[in-house]
Amino acid sequence: MELDDINSETAIEPAMQSSSMMIDAAPNLLQQSLAERKQARKERWRLLRRRPGFIIGAVIVAFWVFCAAFAQYIVPYDPFDDRDKRHMPPSADHWFGTDQTGRDIFSRVLTGARDILLVAPIAAVLAVIMGTLLGMIMGYFRGWTDNVLSRFVEAFLALPVVLVGLYVLTLAAQSDLLTTISFNSRNILVIYVVAVLFTPIVARTVRAAVQGERDLDYVVSARLRGESSMFIMTREIFPNVTGPIIVELTVRIGYAIFTVATLSFLGVGIQPPSPDWGLAISDERAVLAAGIWWPVTFNALAIITLVVAVNLIADSIQAVYQK
Amino acid sequence: MTKYIVKRVLLSLVTLWLLVTIVFLMSWALPSDPARAILGPFADEKLVEDFRETFGLNDGFFEQYFRLLKGLVTFDFGLSYGTKQPVWDVLAPTLWRTAKLATLAMIITTPISIFAGLIAAKFRDRRLDRGIVLTGLATSSIPEFVTGTLLAVVFGVKLGWFKAVAIIPEGTPPLQQLDYLFLPALALAVVYFGYIARMMRAGTIQAMDSDYTRTAAMKGLSSSQVMRKHVLRNAMAPTITVMSVQIGYLVSGIVGVEVVFNYPGFSQALLIAVKQKDLPVLQVAVIISALVYMVATLVADLIIAWLNPRIRLDMGN
Repeated sequence: MELDDINSETAIEPAMQSSSMMIDAAPNLLQQSLAERKQARKERWRLLRRRPGFIIGAVIVAFWVFCAAFAQYIVPYDPFDDRDKRHMPPSADHWFGTDQTGRDIFSRVLTGARDILLVAPIAAVLAVIMGTLLGMIMGYFRGWTDNVLSRFVEAFLALPVVLVGLYVLTLAAQSDLLTTISFNSRNILVIYVVAVLFTPIVARTVRAAVQGERDLDYVVSARLRGESSMFIMTREIFPNVTGPIIVELTVRIGYAIFTVATLSFLGVGIQPPSPDWGLAISDERAVLAAGIWWPVTFNALAIITLVVAVNLIADSIQAVYQK
Repeated sequence: MTKYIVKRVLLSLVTLWLLVTIVFLMSWALPSDPARAILGPFADEKLVEDFRETFGLNDGFFEQYFRLLKGLVTFDFGLSYGTKQPVWDVLAPTLWRTAKLATLAMIITTPISIFAGLIAAKFRDRRLDRGIVLTGLATSSIPEFVTGTLLAVVFGVKLGWFKAVAIIPEGTPPLQQLDYLFLPALALAVVYFGYIARMMRAGTIQAMDSDYTRTAAMKGLSSSQVMRKHVLRNAMAPTITVMSVQIGYLVSGIVGVEVVFNYPGFSQALLIAVKQKDLPVLQVAVIISALVYMVATLVADLIIAWLNPRIRLDMGN
C-alpha cells in the first residue's frame, strides 16, 4: 500500500511525510544497532579476558613485540659483533652462550623477533584482505563466477606452501622483473609469496560465511530495495562476517610465522646476517651432533613460545566468536 | 558408487590440470633468464645459447606448456639444470626414502591420536580433555623442524637414546633402521597428533550428541556397541578427511625434518636444487607433492563415501 502511495502523483504529501519519518527513525535505529554492536564487542572482550590462554598468549606476544621494537637498544652485546670466543657454552657472561662466530646468542635471540614479526603479520594481513575480496565475490555471485574461482582455489589448496615457497622464491630471486621494480628486498618478496599462497585459504572461509548470509532477510530486502551488489557486499554482508574474518586473521598469523620460519630455515626466507631464529637453527644444526646444543635450543624455544602464544590467542578468539 | 567415483576422479583431473597450469604460469609471471643466472653475467654468449638450446628454453610458451602436461603422463619432465640428468631420475630415488619416513610417522601418530581424541571426547570439559586439547594445540602449531631440533637435542645428544643423524649405513637390517628413523618420524608424528586428535574429539562429540546415538542407546544397545557401530563410524569421517589433508602437508613438513636429521630424502634433492637454481627439479617437486595431496584426499573421499551410504547415494546423482 505504501509503495502505491509513493508511486502515485497525488500522494506526494504522505510520501514526503513517511520519508521524513524514516529520516527521523533511521538515526535511532542506527544508533540502536551500533549500541548493540558495541555491547557485543564489550561482551566478547570480557569473555576473552577471562580466558587464561588468551592472557598468557597476549603477554608472551607483547614481550616479543617489545623485543622486536626495542631489543636492539637494551641487549648486553651487539648481536652482529663477531668475537673470538666461539661456541662458548652458557655462562654468567653469555647467558645463552655464543655462536659459531662468537656472537652473543642471548642478544641475538631477543633481536631475532624483529624480521619474522614484520614479515609474517604483514603477509597474513595482506592474505586476509585479498582473500576476503575473493571470498565475498565467490560467495555472493555463486553460479559461474563461483564455480570457476572455486576450481582455482581448490588447485591452489593442493599446492604445498613450503615447496611452492622454495620454487617461487628461487624463481623470483633471479627474475629481472622484480629487481627492476625494486622488490629486491628478500623480506618483501617473502611477504608477497606467503600472502598469495594464503589468499585462497582465506577466500574459502569467507565464501562459506557469505553463503550463510546471502539468503537471509536483510540481504534479500536490500536487493529488493534495488541496492547495488557492491553496496550489499560491503555495507550489508561485510559487517556480519567480520567474526570469521577476525578469527581467520589470527589463525593465519600463526601459520604465517610457521611458514616464514620454515622458509628461513631452508635458506630461502629471511637472509643473513639477520638474527632470525629459523636462520640461526639452520646455521648451527651441523654442530649439534658434536654436542653443541645451545645455539639451536634457545632459538627453537623462541620460535615455540611465539607460535604457541599466537595460537593460544587465535584459539581463544575463535572460542569467543563461536559462543 | 561407480558414478560417484568417476565424477570424483574427473573433478580431480580438472584440478590437477589447473594446478599444473598455475605452477607453469608462475615461471612466466616471474620471467627470468636461467641460463644467465646459472652461468653468470660474464659467461660466453655461445655457452649461454647452448644452455638454452639443451633445456628447451628457446621454445615458445605453448611448446613448453604442452611438454610439461605430457610429462604428467610419460614422467619425462626434461633435464635438471644441475646434474643434466632427467628430472625424474633425480627425484625418484629420494621419493621412496621420504615415503618410508612418512609412513612410519603415520603409523606412530594415527592410533595414538585417535585414541587421545576418543578419550578427550569421553571426558569432555574435564581436566584430561583440556590437557589433550591444549597439548594438541601446542604441538600442531610448532613448525616440524623446531620439534625435530628439540627432539634431536634431548633424545639424540643429551640422553643418547636414538641417533640424531638419520644417515642409515648401507645394509642395516630393517629393525635397526628404526634407531635412525625414530626421531624424525616422531617429530612429524607430534605435529600431526594435534590435528588428528582434535578432529577425532570434535567428530566423536558431534556423533555422541546426535539423535541416532540417543536412539541406539535407548533401544538398549550396550555402550560398547553404541560406541563402535554408531559413534566411531560417524566420527571417523571428519578424521579421515583431516588425515588425508595432513598427508598433503606432511610433504611440506617432512622437508624441514629431513634437513634437521640429514636424512637423504626428498629434501636433499630440493636443497641442492635451490642452491643450483635448478628450476625444473623444484617445479616437478611441487607438482609431485600436490599430486600426493590430491590422491590422498581422493582416497579419503572414497573411504568416507564407502563408510556413509548417505554421501555416496547423494553424490552419484
